Amino acid sequence: MSTPHPITRREWLTAPAAAGAALLAGCNHAVAIRPASVSITRAAAYGQGLYDTVRHILEQHRLDVRGRRVLLKPNLVEFEPGSSINTHPLLVHAAMEAFRALGAAEVRIAEGPGHRRNTLDLAEAAGYFQTVPRFEDSFVDLNVDEVSLVRPERTFSRLEKLYLPNSALGADLLVSMPKMKTHHWVGATLSMKNLFGLVPSGIYGWPKNVLHWAGISECIADLHAAFPRQFALVDGIVGMEGNGPIQGTPKPAGVLVAGRDRVAVDATCCRIMRIDPYRIRYLQLATRDSQESILEGNIRQVGERIADVATRFQLPPDFQDL
Amino acid sequence: MPIENLLERQNPDGGWPYSHGGSWTEPTVYAILASLAAGERDAADRGMRWIVSARRPDGGWAPCGGVDQSTWVTGLVALLPPERLGRPYYEEAVRWLLRTTGEESAFSYRLREFLLGNSPPPEQKFPGWPWVPGAAAWVGPTSIAILALRQAARRGASPPLQKRLEAGRGFLLAHMCRDGGWNHGSVRPLGYESNPYPETTGMALAALAGTKSPEVDRALTVARQFLAECRSADALNWLRLGLMAHGQLPADYCAPTVTYRTTPETALGLLVAQKDNPLLGAIPAGERG
Repeated sequence: MSTPHPITRREWLTAPAAAGAALLAGCNHAVAIRPASVSITRAAAYGQGLYDTVRHILEQHRLDVRGRRVLLKPNLVEFEPGSSINTHPLLVHAAMEAFRALGAAEVRIAEGPGHRRNTLDLAEAAGYFQTVPRFEDSFVDLNVDEVSLVRPERTFSRLEKLYLPNSALGADLLVSMPKMKTHHWVGATLSMKNLFGLVPSGIYGWPKNVLHWAGISECIADLHAAFPRQFALVDGIVGMEGNGPIQGTPKPAGVLVAGRDRVAVDATCCRIMRIDPYRIRYLQLATRDSQESILEGNIRQVGERIADVATRFQLPPDFQDL
Repeated sequence: MPIENLLERQNPDGGWPYSHGGSWTEPTVYAILASLAAGERDAADRGMRWIVSARRPDGGWAPCGGVDQSTWVTGLVALLPPERLGRPYYEEAVRWLLRTTGEESAFSYRLREFLLGNSPPPEQKFPGWPWVPGAAAWVGPTSIAILALRQAARRGASPPLQKRLEAGRGFLLAHMCRDGGWNHGSVRPLGYESNPYPETTGMALAALAGTKSPEVDRALTVARQFLAECRSADALNWLRLGLMAHGQLPADYCAPTVTYRTTPETALGLLVAQKDNPLLGAIPAGERG
């Protein structure tokens, strides 16, 4: 039998907030919306077949990028060749070729790593120089790009303003290309969390600790709102489980997940990983008024069915209940 | 590596970019120091004029034009010779550093943690420096601030300055990874041991010049291992500086061929080749290991 424990200072201080959150949760209501299209495509390995696969995925989503500037945003984090930390360069090059074939005026690759300062060395170690011809000519280090001050219309975090890189702000289409990974602070890191790499470390430092103090999930939702012209292509061929996003272990899931609605894409990835998307706070925040794109019934699944490709990702200890 | 590699990158406004584009404070400071060391006074003077023009009303510096907040780069500016920067500006930069700490050391934060029943972890005992005020302290900005304040102390020590220097060194020692060396400053996030990075290990060792302890010895061992394996110009520059600060860079050390891609990499590469480079110049030889 458990014994009652005295109320701590923490409980006194947090009880009103918890009660308020419970009240707000009860205010959710269903809103009729147009289903978001999310494709799930099997891809067993990082091979030459990816070029056709990615071209097919983009055709499925009928992206019109003729004459447009496309910015591919992979996830580059650490120097560990052979690990599953970084988005695979072959996938990024396949996307680059596919967008060029669709008539994009410009396709560039951009990233602003949050841990390591030597971005190009990191890209080299991750195999980007070997895989992408003339990589340096098409790459933008977002950490030291020219910036503009942005005051998001909807802010979920305490940040009232943010300096963001002009290369990302000026892109006609921002393509978030994360690795499908568990994350020890937010549960899962997918296309929305990948936008942390847009925040310039040249202004905010390595790591971008300002975002941690303002609330990680809240900042993810802020960035999601600040970049409306996006497409997501998630590298789930080999993802990461356990203590992600860096120290976890490779987890082959054998899929590419794509779509214009990043909440729907990330919710689908969560379901593939056997994570309840309603428990991922930034997904809740990004759809605070309706949760429309999280709801499975509001997502038009293209290609494989979730049930056929789902594989349980081992979660970090603090997220075992997801 | 010829100094021309650096000079040709200088922008018409006098500052330097990271690689191309507009001028930023960090590359400009390193490029000025390298230009001065190479006797390129004209380039250094033009760079210094850009730095002076970028000064902010609070006595600090922003990372680049158009940003309205002073940040860690103020520590870099305080590495410049005061007689060239202008003594009042230099002294204001030092004062900015002295009043800036990581948010976890702020009274308001500590009070809140106390009210929530949280005890501060041991590594929060010592205030360090943040990248941006309002966030936590980290190894990189703390190392740069120590390098700057140590030079300031040689020019005229004061109790507050000595106190921050000692606390800064305490911060670095408390944020070392278990097996030696440093990453950006997360020691055990969520209970997992973090791995050291070569560049931050070099930076912290440079800041800890003159400090002798088993922890520093462990870090020196890690730095020597990194030096043998690492192929990043930025990391190699800082590792060499860190080992030089402790007299531990092998006399016959021959740097491998690496690509110097950015202005800071190029400038630091030139500086580490100097016998008495300005980043460590204020450390008497006797203190270097």
